[in-house]
Amino acid sequence: MKTKAVLLWLAVGLPLLWGVYKTLQNAMALF
Amino acid sequence: MSRESTIAPPDYPRVLVPPAALAVHLAIGQVYAFSVFNLPLTKLIGLNHSAPGDWNIKEVGWTFSIAIAILGLSAALFGRWVERAGPRKAMFVSALCFGGGFIVAALGVHYHALLLIYFGYGVLGGCGLGIGYISPVSTLIKWFPDRPGLATGLAIMGFGGGALIAAPLSVKLMEHFRTPTSNGVLETFVTLGVIYFMYMMIGVYNARVPAPGWKPAGWTPPVNTAALVTRAQVGVDRAWHTPQFWLLWVVLCMNVTAGIGVLGQASPMIQEIFAGRVNAQAAAAFVSLLSLFNMIGRFAWASTSDHIGRRNTYMIFFALGILLYFSVPSLARSGSLPLFVAAFVIILSMYGGGFATIPAYLRDVFGTMHVGAIHGRLLTAWAVAGVVGPNLITYIREYQLKSGVPKAQVYSLTMYIMCAFLLVGLICNICMRPVNSKYHHTGAESAT
Repeated sequence: MKTKAVLLWLAVGLPLLWGVYKTLQNAMALF
Repeated sequence: MSRESTIAPPDYPRVLVPPAALAVHLAIGQVYAFSVFNLPLTKLIGLNHSAPGDWNIKEVGWTFSIAIAILGLSAALFGRWVERAGPRKAMFVSALCFGGGFIVAALGVHYHALLLIYFGYGVLGGCGLGIGYISPVSTLIKWFPDRPGLATGLAIMGFGGGALIAAPLSVKLMEHFRTPTSNGVLETFVTLGVIYFMYMMIGVYNARVPAPGWKPAGWTPPVNTAALVTRAQVGVDRAWHTPQFWLLWVVLCMNVTAGIGVLGQASPMIQEIFAGRVNAQAAAAFVSLLSLFNMIGRFAWASTSDHIGRRNTYMIFFALGILLYFSVPSLARSGSLPLFVAAFVIILSMYGGGFATIPAYLRDVFGTMHVGAIHGRLLTAWAVAGVVGPNLITYIREYQLKSGVPKAQVYSLTMYIMCAFLLVGLICNICMRPVNSKYHHTGAESAT
């Protein structure tokens, strides 16, 4: 169950982190 | 797929439930990034330029508006069914509609039929959005009676985060599929339809409802709760008739109108106010920053509301919002770009926070029994705000320009009008009282 929880959180966390990273990369152009 | 077959065993760890909800919201949050397809859809024939027979940007722009309007309508219409059917079946139907919507829209690109895109992404996809948006709400609230704001904030944060993923992903896919005879939109629609359908299956397979009477280990419902937090239950058909429902409807509508109007016009606004200092690329960066804070605010404000209360959270949204909107014209005149940006990222965090805190507010006022269905009906406020906010800002801007107001100052009046909207929301929030006991559900009535 613990492994399943880790995998599930990774499945939603990694794409979200990638999206945040790309957004921050774009946002740098403002400054 | 039925609700009964998704009832979790007593030792089921509730930590597995939020990712299921997040998977659905991260997928359907793509709708906020649909604008990346606007320009490519106007160049399907000309490829590098708009040729005769290509659609114009206004025609293509309707796709997003239809999707958002159908989101609000379907959430209101199917909320009761979602409560009855349970999260698993609702998430599956949502995945079918949302993924299928992309495939039908791809057919619209293939046959160059705009109506097929309106129907596919707008109507079918919009139903997927509405059902998917409300499907995990009541489940999460039942799993996290001790932290309802945190739980729903986490899921609804996914809706904001979905756009952050979808925008760069869609651009990469269109680049990948681009050929001398296609700009890659058709293939990208098909790919996204398949990816999102499969991704939403994570939610479908992992959605569980707690057994009746379940509560977190070691947690007992607080005896002395705040005045607005009820231990009674109000059914969706009765909630609809209470003044509290309509007060919250106005609260949400005003909060969303103020935020969505700015979000839609952020790029031209910052370029015109800081003409010569902010170019199109920097303006796009400003929009990215707003989207990021829209997402962060959903989680941050909703989880804060567990500690300070829902009404106080909205008090902050409206009071701080009025202060910030009122100060924007002065910040613009002073030429302080960092302060201007800071004001708007806080405003957008409260816009997202408003969406994420409302399910827990509804749970406080109406109980958990039909909170998903009541939330669905309340989302009609979003549909109204989605039309009013952007159109109002555009109309005022045009009117001011025609009256000879310099471009850099055309937004000042808009900011003061937003203050007025927020003041209306503030008054409605102050007027919130517990629901009269004549609306409470009694044991003799059916809970479905």
